[in-house]
Amino acid sequence: MTSAEEDVLQHKDGRLRVEVLPGGAFIEPLTGSESSFISVSGHPVLLLPITKTEPESVSSDETDVSDSQFEGVLHNSSFQEKANSACATTGGRREARHTEDIRALYCNYLKKEMENRDHQMAYRALKMRKIEKEMCNYFFLYDGSKVRGESDQTREGICYFYPEETPLDRQELLCGQLAGAGRCVSELSSSPVRILNLHRNRFAIRMEDDLLWALGCSVEVPTVSVCELLDQLINLFCFYNGSVRHSYQLNSQETLASRWAQYLSHLQSGSSELQHIFSCLTTIDSTNVDPLLLLKAALILQACQRCPLVLAGCILFRGRVVSTQMSPQLTMKVMVHESGTYTKPQRPNGQSSSFGSAVSSTAVFLTPSELQYLQSTPVDKDFSSHSTPHKNTPLKKTRLSRTLSDTPSSTESEPSDPGSSQSPQKLLSPHLSESSVYSSDPSQSTPNPPPPQSPEPPLSNGKHSPVEESLEESYYHSFHSNGEGGSQIDNGGDSSAFGENSHLNGGGVDGACGEEFNFRVAEESHDNKVSEEVSGRGCGRVQGHEVETPDPPRSDAFEHPGESPLIPMTLYLHRVKGLVLALLVEPHFLSDKASMEEVYHSSLASLNGLEAHLRSVSPGVPGAPGPYIFAHFDCIQSTLTSNLSGRPGGAPERPFVRATSLLHSHFCNTETLQEAIIRSAGAAVYGTRSVAQETYFQQHGGSLRNSGIPNHQDSAFSLPGKARHRLLKHGVNLL
Amino acid sequence: MKCLLISSQSAEVLFHWTDPEFYQNVQAQYGASQEDGHGLPAFEDSISTLFAPIIISCITMVDRLGDSYTSFTTENNHIYVLHQFDECLYIAVNGDGEEGEGDLRRKIYVMKKMIEVISNLLKRELRPQDTEQRARLWEHLQSLLETYSHLRENDQSFLVECIEFLERRLVQQLNSSVERAGEEVLHAFILVHTKLLAFYSSRNASTLSTSDLLSLIIMSQNMYPSNTDQDDPNPEDIESTSGSGPESFYTPEPSPTDMDSRSSADMPVRESTPLFEFVDPDVQMAEDSLHTLEVPPPDPSTPRRVFLEVSLKDGLFPMMPHSMYCLPLWPGITLVLLTKIPTSAVAMSVYTFLEAFAKLEKRLNEGQEGPAATRGQPTIHDIRSKLDKFIKALGASEIQSAQLQNVWTDFKNRIGRGARVQQRAYPQLSGPRPWCTGEGPLAQFIKSKVWSLVSTTRRYLQKGYSTVTLRDGDFYFCYFLWFENETGYKLEAGDIPVLPDDSAPIGMLAWDYYRKLLRYYSKNHQGEVVKCYELLTVHLGVIPTEVILQHCRQLASKLWEPSRNPLL
Repeated sequence: MTSAEEDVLQHKDGRLRVEVLPGGAFIEPLTGSESSFISVSGHPVLLLPITKTEPESVSSDETDVSDSQFEGVLHNSSFQEKANSACATTGGRREARHTEDIRALYCNYLKKEMENRDHQMAYRALKMRKIEKEMCNYFFLYDGSKVRGESDQTREGICYFYPEETPLDRQELLCGQLAGAGRCVSELSSSPVRILNLHRNRFAIRMEDDLLWALGCSVEVPTVSVCELLDQLINLFCFYNGSVRHSYQLNSQETLASRWAQYLSHLQSGSSELQHIFSCLTTIDSTNVDPLLLLKAALILQACQRCPLVLAGCILFRGRVVSTQMSPQLTMKVMVHESGTYTKPQRPNGQSSSFGSAVSSTAVFLTPSELQYLQSTPVDKDFSSHSTPHKNTPLKKTRLSRTLSDTPSSTESEPSDPGSSQSPQKLLSPHLSESSVYSSDPSQSTPNPPPPQSPEPPLSNGKHSPVEESLEESYYHSFHSNGEGGSQIDNGGDSSAFGENSHLNGGGVDGACGEEFNFRVAEESHDNKVSEEVSGRGCGRVQGHEVETPDPPRSDAFEHPGESPLIPMTLYLHRVKGLVLALLVEPHFLSDKASMEEVYHSSLASLNGLEAHLRSVSPGVPGAPGPYIFAHFDCIQSTLTSNLSGRPGGAPERPFVRATSLLHSHFCNTETLQEAIIRSAGAAVYGTRSVAQETYFQQHGGSLRNSGIPNHQDSAFSLPGKARHRLLKHGVNLL
Repeated sequence: MKCLLISSQSAEVLFHWTDPEFYQNVQAQYGASQEDGHGLPAFEDSISTLFAPIIISCITMVDRLGDSYTSFTTENNHIYVLHQFDECLYIAVNGDGEEGEGDLRRKIYVMKKMIEVISNLLKRELRPQDTEQRARLWEHLQSLLETYSHLRENDQSFLVECIEFLERRLVQQLNSSVERAGEEVLHAFILVHTKLLAFYSSRNASTLSTSDLLSLIIMSQNMYPSNTDQDDPNPEDIESTSGSGPESFYTPEPSPTDMDSRSSADMPVRESTPLFEFVDPDVQMAEDSLHTLEVPPPDPSTPRRVFLEVSLKDGLFPMMPHSMYCLPLWPGITLVLLTKIPTSAVAMSVYTFLEAFAKLEKRLNEGQEGPAATRGQPTIHDIRSKLDKFIKALGASEIQSAQLQNVWTDFKNRIGRGARVQQRAYPQLSGPRPWCTGEGPLAQFIKSKVWSLVSTTRRYLQKGYSTVTLRDGDFYFCYFLWFENETGYKLEAGDIPVLPDDSAPIGMLAWDYYRKLLRYYSKNHQGEVVKCYELLTVHLGVIPTEVILQHCRQLASKLWEPSRNPLL
């Protein structure tokens, strides 16, 4: 051993002779000669990958800025030096003037340059902000059935790709590879792929038959949130267009591309990162609004709902929910129409005159579980179930007047009921129901009379082909025929007694069975129809869990859009300036002039009043940034309350948002987790949840100086108490 | 349903391991067409065909997008984790919910580590052309992987990837003159199951890295598995686990000697007893008992070649060949000797050449050969000839078993005489033993809670959170990480790096996170020796939080008390 070696070893000995204490995870001291933290062989560790978008584009963007700046400065200074030196050496006057000219020119140039740069910077900042706001990096719908043969090109299968400006070969790359790898994994596991992670992107995937949807976000976005966003997007599409497959048979790719784009931008628009994390509804600031106004809104909805053709509704003000009778998911869907350019004012011929352009409508499609939920809601059900006998017995024209006068007994001869038998348009749709009323069992009914081919479909908005209309009608018809089937069994008496009432009493076994029975019937008859009329897509999905429990919150995440029989409905909108009354109505509501007039007139005054009040409400100070940040998520209503400024990239809020997103994921994945405190060097955040809510709290200030050693006097552990105390005034009760 | 697969860039399967369920699944999907070709190659073909699209897609994505898959999750919660090391793509699959994404990623890293330790295998050597040889190699790797998975699931020191000492005694060092047959014993340690009873290092040996040590423990467990967890717990066991006995978790098999009266757990606790007082008779017993084992173990005198990290003044040599001798002393008690091969000096320089050679080869592959590429590098010819020489030298250096016997005797003698002290500093685990004791639903439930707590806290640590408290069901979990200097002064909590989801697992077996963390933290504490501590506790949720935190504080301060009493 050489002396040099000896030295090293001495040193080593010295280093190693550190006393090891009993217990404790002791880690050897450092000599610092080894590789740094960042470069580890075989695995590059990326520190703080905050890039929100696909790093390639962003980072190149960033370097663009800095490089050009840097070069500019370099260039300028050398220029100046040159000019000066030139001036100094020659010394002549002419030269001096010349130099001054140059200098002036240069100054001008500089000024211009600076302006340009400002513009550029502003533009880039804008771009960055946009990027930061947008959570989605990629979205595509790929139809594998179009790429079967060797000669088929991948591009033929791409139904929609976002961002649309993506070069086609890149689109093909992503679609082809993800679909290929996804299919391979699905086959190995006999189950569709749900999540696909790349180093820089996280994709939520939906696979159905040959269709594949993929939505890619930054890996910073929690998996649950990405999946939820994709589900929302697909469900939104199906809500307005019906089944995806079918839509692509009926419409051009361009038309549908604009819809996907619209839905996507709607889902990403105007909401903060926190809202993306929780996928919540935007509501009006209820702390800032007179509760009476909210009550008034609720009353308007209830009044409308008394029309038997109205299923449920919601009132929106400037893109925010004021009051809703629908599940949060359904409300979110309805809101797109209100906010987007999608609104296509359309009146079936000649009906619009009395309502003006304030009223519009569009065809929408409900999933069976959504419809069932709407019908099982006590208030709603009471009436809509009665609407069935109304159709059954057209002579007993009691319902409408009763709903409007609010007195069930005094309805018999209400003159304001022009509906029922007179309206020729109205006859069309009841006729559908009647046709099956007389068949004893809808599923076995003799080949249903061909109502769908009825000459004048009530729902002619010009967009649908006759085929689709007939399909919709048949769906509609078959769905209702089963209701009638039920009433038939009950011998026409109190039709709602069977199945639905029992459900009212807390959903006994009978009730559930009844529901299931109904839907099975619906499905069967639907099956018949589809196979008869359209080369229908299979629809074996409506069974079991979806149907037996009207479970609104997340149920539609499990709907299979390509598959499930969607039930056509109509979305009726009545706009009063910034206020919108949106109602889900039976399709033949539009042809029922009387009902429409009733609903319109009964709500018009109230809506005007409500609008005026809401408009006068001051936007409310967004709350001075207090000594704390909190976010409170109501899982039932899907609403978020927070005192976060919502500014994108708000530096002090970043740690809070990050912690919240981690904790939210953890809560989602661990049912038993109730409470957590997590602390990084920057922030300590407390999160707590119950069945109905999640609350996150961070206290500003206070000395964050601490060692991290367990200490009960540590301020981090006083967070739960502080949160309980502080949040009371925000209406959040954590006790 | 589990699987681990290593593939080359040309989608050739370099290694695979599957559990029976996955095997059946593959057979079911490919069964009919493969029935004629029985045995390994047929299965290999099936699995290769099934995974090929993923592998090819992965490579395409890297080439064309500069990004690639890190994981897939299906709707029925099957998880696929992918990771590429150089030219090898590792894919780990779980379909039974027992492992999460993090576990699978850890498994991949551990697999890579094990491959490095046992074989220093280059890609092509993972798949020897000779079928029989391949089968043997794969079998070895597969059993190592299974041993690891088993330890990970059942042994707390593998859960947190720490060295667990049975006894904090001043360990003794072998005299540096121990040389036999050109071999030099660098390290020797005695394991009781997976726990370190004693550790000895020669004075001029480089530190044995934690990840290497953990890998060696896995290997020794693979050779001489402890079967404690298969034992039916007898009432005494259960009783002892509820107490504070420091070693009640592992109860060795009853032994036929006078050792009967005391459980081996007591042995290390007896402070004053010279360490190896009991060795000679026991060793005799152990040697005798070797013959009674059902499966004849590998000949202990046959060394295994292992490749360990060595840091010398010339630099860091990540894969230096050593010989590993593993001797079962007693069921559950193993002596491991690590010797330096006589030609290690050659090995060192050859390693340098190998590196250069690999670089050169890479450049040649990239088609950038030119004067610039080779300048300052040894020529290929040089490297080749040196390599040949090295390989020959390796062949000649295998020591004879008689020589080993000498080493062994000498070793015993030296221990008996009491050698000088050299203390090794390892990340250690200290804590109550009964974490994972016993059978039955409650014990299993608590075990699963503890195991999930550890992975949860690792996850938060990965994201930069060094303090975590969780109220989960009936339990209250706490996790604290802090830094101290040498004198025990608590240093201010600093930034902890935020790592991406697909980063290497936090631990020490495959990737020494803590060493890197310390280096990162030490940047702001130049000239100070910084140490890092972690504390994990599980309390019943009904205890007031304040009391829990006070208790945690007491535990933390106990770490500094000079007493050798175990915690709790």
